[in-house]
Amino acid sequence: MGAGSFRVIVGEALTGIRRNGLMSVVSSTTVAVSLFVLAVFLLVGLNVDHMARVIESGLEVRLYLAEDLEPVDVEVLKIQVAALDGVTDVTYVSAEEALETLRQQLGEDAELLEGVEEMNPLSDSLRVSTKGPAWVDAVAASAGRLPGVADVGYTHDLAQRLLKLTTSVRVGGLVLVGLMVLATILVISNTVRLTILARGEEVYIMKLVGATNWLIRWPFLFEGLFFGLAGALLASLAAWQAYYWAVNGIYTTISFIPVLPVYPLAWRLGLVLLALGATIGALGSSISLRRFLRV
Amino acid sequence: MIEFYEVSKTYLNGVTALRDVTITIAKGEFVFVVGLSGAGKSTLARLVYREELPTKGYVFVNGVNLARLKPRAVPYLRRNIGVVFQDFKLLPRKTAYENVAFALRVTGASPREIARRVPACLELVGLGGKGDAYPDELSGGEQQRTALARAIANHPLVLVADEPTGNLDPTTSWDIVRLLLEVNQRGTTVLMATHAKHIVDAVRRRVITLDKGLVVSDKLRGGYGDGGERAWAQGLSASLSARP
Ligand SMILES: Nc1ncnc2c1ncn2[C@@H]1O[C@H](COP(=O)(O)OP(=O)(O)OP(=O)(O)O)[C@@H](O)[C@H]1O
Ligand SMILES: [Mg+2]
Repeated sequence: MGAGSFRVIVGEALTGIRRNGLMSVVSSTTVAVSLFVLAVFLLVGLNVDHMARVIESGLEVRLYLAEDLEPVDVEVLKIQVAALDGVTDVTYVSAEEALETLRQQLGEDAELLEGVEEMNPLSDSLRVSTKGPAWVDAVAASAGRLPGVADVGYTHDLAQRLLKLTTSVRVGGLVLVGLMVLATILVISNTVRLTILARGEEVYIMKLVGATNWLIRWPFLFEGLFFGLAGALLASLAAWQAYYWAVNGIYTTISFIPVLPVYPLAWRLGLVLLALGATIGALGSSISLRRFLRV
Repeated sequence: MIEFYEVSKTYLNGVTALRDVTITIAKGEFVFVVGLSGAGKSTLARLVYREELPTKGYVFVNGVNLARLKPRAVPYLRRNIGVVFQDFKLLPRKTAYENVAFALRVTGASPREIARRVPACLELVGLGGKGDAYPDELSGGEQQRTALARAIANHPLVLVADEPTGNLDPTTSWDIVRLLLEVNQRGTTVLMATHAKHIVDAVRRRVITLDKGLVVSDKLRGGYGDGGERAWAQGLSASLSARP
């Protein structure tokens, strides 16, 4: 394709967009609305996944150490535990630190602890983080067998229920987003198909006066690309503003709910929407064209 | 230039529009195709620029068997054949100027050449001032002449004109026929389907007469009634009996 015919094609596409008036507005709006809905689903899905991750990482195994351990034994134990499958982090928590944490958790009821402080009833421990709820059982079992570990603490039921919950939330979210992507593609390509259907006669005439398929296809492809991008741009801006507003709302009212920060999520989402809009617009128009080109 | 060998055409709905048509049109010839409405004139034309393929038989244009032409080669065939369609087939969202320019563009003509040729062609068909009008802003005759300007724009080897004077007054009709004869003088083979008896009788060129898809006469210096009295009588009685 030479420079000359490129100019011709872009010129054709631009005139097409200009003269298509209402149809252009309708298809860009359709693209924008469906991509925006998709963006909302994506944002909710990503945040639910984020929340599940935060909750899961709060799940840990506590190894209570035997009374008579030397500091060097503790170090060895730490290394052994860290080497276990599924362990991501091991932290030593002394009895004093544990008591301090407890005091803070109790807050105003901390006076309950008065009198026990001289003879701290808590023991030194190792706090073990795992890759996730699925690993908790196995890590607890093997760590419990190590010499120097007096007792193992973790909530088996909680781990199992959390695992079930986060797994089903993730699968459900993935299925939902998948369906939304499919629906978006169908809606957009159908819109493109309708605009081309309205111009089937035109394509037919172009073929009869000797236009090659590519000469007809390029302008339509550029038009589709243009509508896809225009719609995606609108959807990105709207999704960005909506998410910005939602995150601020959550921060100021229910700040304990963990949400993903606006940036860089907004940029990435915008890029995904633009790529999706452009691809569907361009592909949709050239696929819909096919049946009219067989003349 | 154009050869039909025992060509029959039956449309998908079962109507047979042409039967065993065998004709040869040499390069540079000017041929009228006449016949009653529904005789198959437009079908004959469609077979030449390959809008349709024959059901039986062979059509050759410039030595090429159109049925064996690959789809991707068809546009190049059509660039060598200018067509004035019976229903004009102008691009509705392009002005008269752009419609003519489009036919040149597809051939890869330079913008310079397009800017030179298009106004000249519009001038030739008497539409010098109408370039900026869209088809729905033009009268039937003006649309028809735009279609003619488009057909002759890139000096085609063959010009197929399906009733190019169908919507024109006698004076303008004659201007158009004169233009076609001029185009023919410069070497283009012209095939013109028409009902205009006075033109056919006055020009005295080759006349092919179709009746119900059959070639009933083919005369070198023919007139409009050469298909024979029988065909005309039949047509007349058919039209009379069709009346209430
Ligand atoms: N696309 C089509 N599908 C089915 N039948 C068709 C088609 N085009 C034409 N026909 C039929 O084929 C026959 C010949 O039609 P054609 O258009 O070739 O006639 P014509 O000689 O050009 O008539 P007119 O002078 O009215 O233009 C007619 O009976 C018509 O009904
Ligand atoms: Mg006809």
